[in-house]
Amino acid sequence: MNRVTLAVAGSRKTQSIVDACSKGDSHTRRLVLTFTQTGQAELDRRLKQACAPAAVPEVMGWFAFLLRHCIRPYLPLLFPQQRLHGLNFEGQPSAGRYAKGVARHFDASGRAFKLHLSKLALDASKASKGAVMDRLSLIYDEIYIDEVQDLTGCDLHILEQLMNMKSTNLQMVGDVRQSVFDTNPQDPTLKQYRGVAMLDWFALHKKADLLEIAYSNETWRFNQAVADFSDKLFPPSFTFEPTVSRQSEVTGHDGVFAIYEADVLAYIAEFKPVPLRESRTTAAKVELPFQNFGKVKGRTFDRVLIYPTVPITKYLTAGQELKPKTACGLYVAVTRARHSVAFVVPDPAATKLRAWRPKHRMEQE
Amino acid sequence: MINRIVIHGYRLFVNFEMEPTAGLNVLVGGNEAGKSTLLEAISLALTGRVNGRRAEEELNPYWFNQALVAKYFAAIAGGETPAAPEILIELYLSDVTPDVQMLRGVYNSRTEDAPGVLIRVKLSPDYSEEFAAYMAAETRPDIVPVEYYEVVWEDFSGAVINRRPRGLGVSFIDARTIRSSWGVDHHTREMLGDYVEPKERAAISLAHRNARHDISSNSLAAINDRIALEGDRLHEKNLGLQMDQSAGASWEAGVVPHVGDIPFALSGQGQQAAIKVALAMNRSATATAYVLIEEPENHLSHTSLTRLIARIETLAGDRQVFITTHSSYVLNRLGLDRLRLLHAGTPSKFSNLSEGTIRYFKRLSGFDTLRIVLAEKLVLVEGPSDEMFFERAFRDKHGKTPMDSGVDVVSMAGVALGRALELSAAVGRKVAALRDNDGQQPSHWEEKVAAYLDPGMRELFIGDPAHGRTLEPQMLHVNDDAAVRALLPIKADAKPTLEWMAEHKTESALHLVESNSTLGYPDYLARAIAFVE
Repeated sequence: MNRVTLAVAGSRKTQSIVDACSKGDSHTRRLVLTFTQTGQAELDRRLKQACAPAAVPEVMGWFAFLLRHCIRPYLPLLFPQQRLHGLNFEGQPSAGRYAKGVARHFDASGRAFKLHLSKLALDASKASKGAVMDRLSLIYDEIYIDEVQDLTGCDLHILEQLMNMKSTNLQMVGDVRQSVFDTNPQDPTLKQYRGVAMLDWFALHKKADLLEIAYSNETWRFNQAVADFSDKLFPPSFTFEPTVSRQSEVTGHDGVFAIYEADVLAYIAEFKPVPLRESRTTAAKVELPFQNFGKVKGRTFDRVLIYPTVPITKYLTAGQELKPKTACGLYVAVTRARHSVAFVVPDPAATKLRAWRPKHRMEQE
Repeated sequence: MINRIVIHGYRLFVNFEMEPTAGLNVLVGGNEAGKSTLLEAISLALTGRVNGRRAEEELNPYWFNQALVAKYFAAIAGGETPAAPEILIELYLSDVTPDVQMLRGVYNSRTEDAPGVLIRVKLSPDYSEEFAAYMAAETRPDIVPVEYYEVVWEDFSGAVINRRPRGLGVSFIDARTIRSSWGVDHHTREMLGDYVEPKERAAISLAHRNARHDISSNSLAAINDRIALEGDRLHEKNLGLQMDQSAGASWEAGVVPHVGDIPFALSGQGQQAAIKVALAMNRSATATAYVLIEEPENHLSHTSLTRLIARIETLAGDRQVFITTHSSYVLNRLGLDRLRLLHAGTPSKFSNLSEGTIRYFKRLSGFDTLRIVLAEKLVLVEGPSDEMFFERAFRDKHGKTPMDSGVDVVSMAGVALGRALELSAAVGRKVAALRDNDGQQPSHWEEKVAAYLDPGMRELFIGDPAHGRTLEPQMLHVNDDAAVRALLPIKADAKPTLEWMAEHKTESALHLVESNSTLGYPDYLARAIAFVE
């Protein structure tokens, strides 16, 4: 049965794929797909360590998968004269959004536009009358997809076709709360299932008996205080199970804190947190080695220091609900930290968080 | 397995298409029918190599079909702008294994959804200007300028193949003598390689390196010292001798297989072929999914050939085997149902043979079935005396032998006429079959083989029973007894002519056909000659 495992941050999602591959039958043909390049390299390294040399699964990026297995083999059935010569990652059709046919999908040197790649894959699959999926099912016994929440738009239709393969099992892991990347940011297809709403899409396919949904809500990364805070970032209507922490290390400064901007240097001196922000429009004038939320996905730090945006500050002080996209970014940022998360706010006392002040200030007061 | 081969413009193949079957495919054809070329083409598409070298290095103008090339240059001379000649070799596969399914897609000349590989030799887009300049030159010869061509090796999914795909292992066993300077040809070396484990390879490589180092540092050191003393007279820097450390000096080049105590290259040619087949058998069916064997009968005694054929049959158990042969024995033994007939670059279709007939010729493996298969026009006669009379009658009429006229006269020597006619019908040969009436009306014999007769294509020619049961009385019926008797070495007081002739069939035929006298022939013989004209 196809399965999606919805897991919280730090629940060893990628490791679950590595385990499934290394402990399963070595004759099973496996393909492991993930979206980001760093994800691919990491998966490849860990699989090579864990699996016998002859049984290392093939690791491929999502776009390479679309090009090699969904588009190229049957492209002549869609565009008889067009040869595929790679991927145009950033370009757009010269006729813009009104481009049609070959010109919508290929640049002058035969590279397919990433912009419409999933749609092209879908069209090629349709033109092949099922051969794309038949071919795949004869090549692979199991297909794993890491970070499945990154797939959007037409990719969901491809996922659905993969789920319908008879002899190939699809195993997906992901965390819809970490939907910070997006394979098809401009694709209006299935817009209603973007971000956290992908849960609804999974539920739909569970209902159709195509999919099992499993939850993994234990984290080995951060402590319970961070876990509780992360759970509250999303409105209760999403019905996520509470995260349970298996990380109980005590350092003396554990949990989620609020600090004055004036105390930042003292805080950094004492705890050496990694400074994070949503994008460079936040705290533009602050000279710290910031990293953006999206960039640190998949990373683990002991402590983080977050410069919030205005909506995040409003959430912290007035409890104003976050937009799903903002919540996802913040969820990623908060769940990087093993021990502590600190927010830089105008007035720590206005938040429900524990305020932190350096010792010399407390003595002064 | 390969279930379709398509070749365009390669050597003598203009538009070739063939659908081989699983297991054995016995390729038969006259000279220049394209048997060896077909094996070469299969190997080329499976390995991207020719004689162990990359296709691009071996590419030459004679790969192109000369008729197509001539047509191209004629069109150019006529002011047209035809497309430059190209070569295409496609192998369509049917396996559902993951490795082979990777090669699946619609990039083939039929736009068919199938796994497969292809070789395309085409004008390189990088050289289109140079090519145009070449074609425009006034003094240009009518030869394809292959230096502006590229060899593209692709699978049907549209992916360029860089190294040999898994699941397409091939063993090429040619009966030609060793050409490689390494003592073993590329294919054999590859098969031998399977005997050596990776760890053992590393050990040999190390020992080999040490030995070379030892020679450099000991035996050559003294020489180098002496040269160094005279060095300034030779060159500014010291000249020295060292063992070759380049990749070409790897141990593989210095290690050759031996059979008994004799190096493989020096063992008998027949033995080489036998060993190559044994090596191919030793490889797993996945390492060698395809076996190509060229004329296994060469250089082998009959008993060795029998052993070899038994091995080939085993080999074909779970592999697809393509074998070319000129030997009826090989064909009969491997089974006539395995026959794939080639003629001047095109495969001939033929209908199925009955199980019984296939078994019949397997038993009677000495019968020259290939003559039936390959003849343009065929005359089947019962025995040597019939053969001699037919030949003489034919020569009397046409002034040349049947062979010179493309008519093959085959003596059945006891083989059932019905079986031979079934085979002739299957390969679509025009046949005149002559037989004795043995006291029966011709219709009696015609009914027995009616299934294989076809007016104008295959007919029976039988003498009138009123003129005698066999050829001898039939001859006496149309010739004067005394005149015939005079040509035969019969004593005057001996038996009657007919009785003597019946007892000495071959001898009497020999005397009559070698005489200079004019002979008359029975009507059915004359009709048979007219039939095959």
